[in-house]
Amino acid sequence: MLEQMSTRVLACMQCGKCTGSCPESGKTPFNIRMLVRKKQFAAAIAEELPWYCTSCGACTLRCPRDVKPSEVIIELRSALVEDGLMPLALQKALENTAVQKNPWGKSRGKRGVWADKLDIEIPHVSDTESKRLLFTCCIQAYDPRCMVIPSNVARILNKGGLEFGILGEEEGCCGNEIRRIGEAGLNEELQEENKAIMEEYGVKEIIALSPHCMNAFKKEYGDLGIKVTHYTEIVADMIREGTLTVQAPFEKKVIYHDPCFLGKQNGIFEAPREILRAIDGLTLMEFARSRETSLCCEGGGGRMFFEVETTYERNAEVRVNEAVEKGAEVIATACPFCVMTLEDPATEKGITVKELSEILVEVI
Amino acid sequence: MKNVLVVGGGIGGITAALEIASCGVDVTMLEEGPSIGGRMIQLDKTFPTLDCSTCTLSPKMVEVALQKKINLLSWAKPVAIRKNGKGFTVTILKKSRYVDINKCNACGSCSPGCPVVMKSEFNMGTGPRKAIYIPFPQAIPNKASIDKRTDRPCKAACVDACPIHTNVLGYLKHISEGRFEDAYMLIRETNPFPSSCGRVCYAPCEGVCNRGQLDSPLAIRDLKRSAVDRFDLDTLEPPQVQKTERKVAIIGAGPAGLSCAHDLAMEGHDVTVFETLPEPGGMLRYAIPEYRLPKAELDKEIGYIRRMGVKIECGIEIGKNMDAATLKNDYEAIFVGTGAPQGIRLGVEGEDLSGIMDGLKFLRTVNKGESLERESLSSHSEREGVAQPALLVEGATRAPLIGNKVAVIGGGNTAVDCARTAKRLGSEEVTLIYRRTRQEMPAADEEVEALIHEGVKIEFLATPVRFNGSNGKVSTAECIRMELGEPDASGRRRPIEIKGSEFSVPVDTVITALGQATETDFLNPLGVKLRKNGTVEVDPFTCTTSVEGIFAGGDVTTGPAYVVDAIAAGKKAACFIIKFLKGEALVAESIDAKPEKLSEDEVKALSIWVAKADRIPMPEEEINQRVTNFREVALGYSAGEAMTEARRCLAGQIEGCIQCGECERRCEVRAVDYNMKDEIIDLDVDSIVLAPGFDLYDPTEKREYGYGTLEGVITGIEFERICSVTGPTGGDILLKGETPKRFFFIQCVGSRDRLSGARYCSRVCCMYTAKHASIVKDRIRDAEIYISYIDVRAYGKNYEEFYKSTQENGILYMRGIPGEVVQGKNGLLVRVEDMLSGEMREVEVDLVILATGVRPRKGTEELCNIMSIERDEYGFIKANSVAPSKTNVDGIFVCGMGSGPKDVPDTVASGGEAASRCMEYINQ
Repeated sequence: MLEQMSTRVLACMQCGKCTGSCPESGKTPFNIRMLVRKKQFAAAIAEELPWYCTSCGACTLRCPRDVKPSEVIIELRSALVEDGLMPLALQKALENTAVQKNPWGKSRGKRGVWADKLDIEIPHVSDTESKRLLFTCCIQAYDPRCMVIPSNVARILNKGGLEFGILGEEEGCCGNEIRRIGEAGLNEELQEENKAIMEEYGVKEIIALSPHCMNAFKKEYGDLGIKVTHYTEIVADMIREGTLTVQAPFEKKVIYHDPCFLGKQNGIFEAPREILRAIDGLTLMEFARSRETSLCCEGGGGRMFFEVETTYERNAEVRVNEAVEKGAEVIATACPFCVMTLEDPATEKGITVKELSEILVEVI
Repeated sequence: MKNVLVVGGGIGGITAALEIASCGVDVTMLEEGPSIGGRMIQLDKTFPTLDCSTCTLSPKMVEVALQKKINLLSWAKPVAIRKNGKGFTVTILKKSRYVDINKCNACGSCSPGCPVVMKSEFNMGTGPRKAIYIPFPQAIPNKASIDKRTDRPCKAACVDACPIHTNVLGYLKHISEGRFEDAYMLIRETNPFPSSCGRVCYAPCEGVCNRGQLDSPLAIRDLKRSAVDRFDLDTLEPPQVQKTERKVAIIGAGPAGLSCAHDLAMEGHDVTVFETLPEPGGMLRYAIPEYRLPKAELDKEIGYIRRMGVKIECGIEIGKNMDAATLKNDYEAIFVGTGAPQGIRLGVEGEDLSGIMDGLKFLRTVNKGESLERESLSSHSEREGVAQPALLVEGATRAPLIGNKVAVIGGGNTAVDCARTAKRLGSEEVTLIYRRTRQEMPAADEEVEALIHEGVKIEFLATPVRFNGSNGKVSTAECIRMELGEPDASGRRRPIEIKGSEFSVPVDTVITALGQATETDFLNPLGVKLRKNGTVEVDPFTCTTSVEGIFAGGDVTTGPAYVVDAIAAGKKAACFIIKFLKGEALVAESIDAKPEKLSEDEVKALSIWVAKADRIPMPEEEINQRVTNFREVALGYSAGEAMTEARRCLAGQIEGCIQCGECERRCEVRAVDYNMKDEIIDLDVDSIVLAPGFDLYDPTEKREYGYGTLEGVITGIEFERICSVTGPTGGDILLKGETPKRFFFIQCVGSRDRLSGARYCSRVCCMYTAKHASIVKDRIRDAEIYISYIDVRAYGKNYEEFYKSTQENGILYMRGIPGEVVQGKNGLLVRVEDMLSGEMREVEVDLVILATGVRPRKGTEELCNIMSIERDEYGFIKANSVAPSKTNVDGIFVCGMGSGPKDVPDTVASGGEAASRCMEYINQ
């Protein structure tokens, strides 16, 4: 059993750095160090506990012994998934993904609908010369709040003169969240299918709209031989090189929230800020916890698809409160999950949440 | 005779060296830095006894200095080694100190004047040091070093061009880093009139500025003004000097006389200045208009000279109301600095008509405010920190002084001043008539520029030949056109009249500004030899006249020149008067260097790495605003503008010493030598002991702790310096000037840590943190102190006891390493799981101290490569497990942290072990 462990629980020296880093520590019953400790002894773990993890990655990034606590959680979840001991909503999400290739169970045939409504024509990636793929992401393909994001980004890239294509209904879930929910088998299936289609069309480059998809393609698909970027990196380049110019001002105080999968997990801190700084009249503000210590919005690790049982002050509320206290008018971020989690408390407090592209389309 | 090389001057190396030397063996000790002492001398106290680290170590350091068997080479390191029989030949690089170690007596007068402020390595960057420095008071060798890394990229032509050799690059360096007060004080070192010169100097420095060969010269004068604008001279106390009771008289209170008086007073001499006019200042006061030099500024500078004890008696004219001979009897020395106050006549018909006046007299009248009212006006500009001139000739009618149509004759600065003044007095038509062209005009270019902008018309290549009048009052100036012929004695092309080109200019006032002459008749009774043109004959190097004890300088000896020339002459005369009073020989010592240009190759090389940037224009009063009043035209740079402009100085482009010469000037034993060269020496030794020591982990990469980004997050060794009496705060634990109350120590930062590549325990952090906490508790009784730990390692005798007593002292040990430190509302928030209670805590504190782990000293790898020494996976020197000072090379031994983490007692023990192994080896 010990040999099979992908994680290194036995190396843990119980220093507590993971708990000190965890966005769920203290406010929820979740104590990641304790779970690692119990795993060392193969002791029983209450079945609801592993589901709190948001897979923000802070524990794994900071662990001095390379124990990878967030991977320990995935292992714990896998065991629960195998036994069917998981929240119903998550089970549903997995089933949906198996069938429709998206956790919401929306029709796969409608995955490319957002592009049909667009004023510009987006070719299928196979019809492009560059074989540059704009990867939509499930939530942005279907969710009414997030559907504007791919449209915006398509317009922006188009304005910057960049050729790209999409896969339309042939695109399937990237599997990033599925792996974190603990369904390794389904994740593998999704990866195979996506890989096959990309290979078929000779995709050379992926521009991901969601940091979660970007993370999967970059780090979990093996060596694809495909360049993977987040769209903010492309746009920042365009602005720097002058192929995209900001023409109108945006006279607002904007506070930027670093998404975990874009920031701390993939080190992209500057590109989104560079874009915001390039906009006239925009005052860029920072949270006290920003960049590497950005506070997780709790949208990752499957938390997007179900509600934990305990009630507590959600991190999104903490974020919104700070933004309001600091006098920000807009919370900007670059991840659809962050948009979704932040928007509820933001609406309550009367502050706007905007995905970066939503600001950009207003000013170019 | 046996000889052993010890590499490294920390406690390990010191112990080994002293032990070996005590056996009668010669030791050569190499220290890479300026002083021995290593890390231990940086510590405030040592654990577990809390003894003062300096008190423990410095006697040993002194012993090294006194031990005749030890030859200490600082700034030295081995660069190559060859096996030589049983021993070795070591090639040693001795980096230049730029200070002669045999001359320097550690008086410390150099450092305060140095304009280059750097981070002190000794204080781990928590405090500053200068480019010339002694790292700490107990340094061995106790000698200054200059941190000179490269040669200055320019020739500092500015300094050579300046008659008083102002340390331009020095004060520009200060300004570029926002130290305006330091800049001002540096300027004052050589110039008693910074404010006047910052406004009206003709700035020969700018003409030769080497940056001008790249893009545009530095705005040196305007930058001087920026320093002046940010310093209130009225707050400066004159230095206390021993009075000599030797009396010196100075005739003329112009810049020459007052500068001479200033320097003499600095020496304690009893100086009296006699001035004919009602107020002191000479041309500065009476010739230069208010809009160029507000008199309030001049008053401050003269006020300071008065506060130094100089007596200034105005309204005294020698030869009239005071006898020259009495003066000679009552004073031991006399300085004549009466300038050239007389106007020169044009010598044409009608020159005595009413309405024609001499330019100097005109300016004097306006500056005196005669028949004009002065009103004060509130500050008209919001520019930060800039003192605005408060004086204005407002509501004053130009009548009866001048009329509406004014012609000014001449092309010098005085002519321009007259024309601009006439414009300000409200004359509608002001015409400047000059016999050559714009190119030949002696007036400063920018002044001519301003003149044209302000609406003064210039008739070039013309000169009056006659003035016509009616009722005895001038009405037209009859002029003739000129053309330029061959160059004359002045090098300018001689103007020649064009026959038949006469024309007339209708005028009601003519102001002539053709030049100035001296008034030296009063010197005749003293027998002072004069030249034909009335100037005083002097030795230009010593300012001595034909009469012993009488000196002269400035315009009275040279004819009309510039303010800074007069200051230079006054200062030079003062220097020789001081010698004269001491009875020393009056011989000039050095001849001034000529300003040098950069070669074309140098310009090319510089333009590669120096980004082009043009000089920042001086903000000026709007033209339509300025011609109606006498407010100062130049408004002064903002602090930001000044800093940006000063950063263009080529000398400031380099790290470290800029070779400005200030330390050289201050050093009484002449120990400074910028041209010293590094040395390479070969040394035969029988054995080598390596004691390279250690560095501390740089926690910047642990972004979650905010080191380098959050104020109040520091490392243990930085904290050590802050606690130390020899540290930047003199031992007061301060954060932003206040005493912090809440402390959080985080253990194991960069130790037991795969992420930073150090899986080992650093051995000293648990104890040094306990020590730090104890120091805090001792000095700040009500401090709230947390120490987070994984497990406390306090082995052996006295250590565990120390740890326990720390706990009993009320220091809260918390098991659990914080995940992150973030900015909270009233301090830093440390997020940590208190594992023993299972509770997650967010502790708000003022100071977070990271107990950073031990790393091999930078350079250990190079050292080992040279000597073929094996290192372990972490880069420490691999030591033999049963003979822990033995390395893989026979005859080369290691001690201290070089082979891995050790505390002070263990390092001392290992030093002893290495010494005994070394003795064993050389005696085999």
